[in-house]
Amino acid sequence: MTLATIIENLGLEVKSASGDLTHEITGAYVSDLLSDVMANSKEGQLWVTLQVHPNIVAVATLKDLAGIILVNGREAEKETIERAEEEKIPLMTTRLATFQLAGKLYGLLGEC
Amino acid sequence: MDAEKAITKVQELVYEIKVNQVMVTDVITVSPHNLMSELRVLLHDKRISGVPVVEGTTLVGLVSIEDFVKCLSEGKMNNLVRDRMSRDVITLYDDEPLVRAVQEFDRRGYGRFPVISRENGALVGVITKGDIIRGLLKRIEIDYHEEEIHRYRASYFFEDIIADKTTLIFQYKVTGKDFSRAGRTSSGLKKTLRRMGIPPKIIRRIAIATYEAEMNIVVFTDGGEITAQVTPREIRVEAVDSGPGIPDIKKAMEPGFSTAPDWVRDLGFGAGMGLTNIRKCADTMHLESTVGKGTRLEIAVQLNGAVKHDSGDHH
Amino acid sequence: MTLGEIIKTLDCRVVAGNTNLDAKVRTGCGCDLMSDVLAFIKPGAILLTGLNNPQVVRTAEIAEIRIVCFVRGKQPSQELITLARESGITLLTTSLPMFEACGKLYMNGLSGYDE
Repeated sequence: MTLATIIENLGLEVKSASGDLTHEITGAYVSDLLSDVMANSKEGQLWVTLQVHPNIVAVATLKDLAGIILVNGREAEKETIERAEEEKIPLMTTRLATFQLAGKLYGLLGEC
Repeated sequence: MDAEKAITKVQELVYEIKVNQVMVTDVITVSPHNLMSELRVLLHDKRISGVPVVEGTTLVGLVSIEDFVKCLSEGKMNNLVRDRMSRDVITLYDDEPLVRAVQEFDRRGYGRFPVISRENGALVGVITKGDIIRGLLKRIEIDYHEEEIHRYRASYFFEDIIADKTTLIFQYKVTGKDFSRAGRTSSGLKKTLRRMGIPPKIIRRIAIATYEAEMNIVVFTDGGEITAQVTPREIRVEAVDSGPGIPDIKKAMEPGFSTAPDWVRDLGFGAGMGLTNIRKCADTMHLESTVGKGTRLEIAVQLNGAVKHDSGDHH
Repeated sequence: MTLGEIIKTLDCRVVAGNTNLDAKVRTGCGCDLMSDVLAFIKPGAILLTGLNNPQVVRTAEIAEIRIVCFVRGKQPSQELITLARESGITLLTTSLPMFEACGKLYMNGLSGYDE
């Protein structure tokens, strides 16, 4: 399933679309701890987090993540959006809480 | 205590209470070298259905009223206990939870089980269904009683004090940078307020605000003090530290703004929601800070039907 | 869902607390930031977290959360287990990552808190 389809299905608000939205998404990583994401996320995963700090873009770039979804109505810092644009990391937001967003995304992607 | 609550409580207690807390330790035993005829007095006078057979301190068997009756009908009352007793005895260990005993009673249909020490295998007691029920009832009664005492405190605490003005003050020292002990103040204050019978919703708001304030002191400073003042009208919490201070309070109040280093973020804090949380919980909030000197935060929550307004009087 | 169903769904190990498998869990919350837990979690929720330090139990205690599940095989320390026992909090661990843990519970009918 492409990132664009996921965005449409989950009604995500796109904050930065300079990256590749046709990317085929097969999995996600849910974490609010940067060191955890650095250590355990896998290339191509969508990252779901509460963190809005510009460092999240750096982490996503380093780990080749497919994009970042900010949950629970969190607004990205201006600098975070700028960096996402530069680094071509798709950045989305949602009103949904982590648990629900992860639940719905899990349903979309099927048991992986 | 309503019925549903009592049943849940019992379910918890059968896991919590150990066999040795309800068993009878004053156990009547016989030796394997006793004669069966000697059992008559025991079984009749003590009205018990079975007697553990013990050699030294070790349990070697169990002789029941059925064994006795069978022996009687065969006219062999001069048999030794060891020849008539059952050697294959189901026992419980003294440190097992009651639920194990309940299961065994259920499965075997026996009236009693000998209890042996896990350490040395010695017989230390006997447990019956009656002992279990008595033990449970006693504990529920104690818990219920304690609850009643708390309720008494709750409703009469302030009424019993004769004064023109009453303020209870609780003070707590907060150690800076000690992450593993952080939260003790809020936890202690919460328990104290609960014992005073403050309504749970108020306690929750005070506890959350205090916890965030405590974390700020732990994370950013070398320590400070938290003081709670309880009056019949409101609860006021003051958190004071002599830390680095906040350069821009307005900015610090913005949701998501944080100066926390990454190590703090990786401990699950420092995402810039602390002060936002405090403001959300408090009826009024006052934050003042001088860079290089320290920070003072004061919040208040009204006790009597006050409507929570979100503005606060922070500046 | 009941605690028992959750334990089965996530293949959890119980490391502390009562094992009343019929205890009802109304909703879930997956979060590593304790301020967000304090701000948004509803009493009666299960907290799923990848954070593994005593503040998780402190937060649960303050926010009236009775059940905490550590994801991705995090093993809580003895200190944390002791703290949980004192506060009457049930601690579970699952080897599943947060995404799969939230997903499986959600798909099994545990709704999020703003539903």
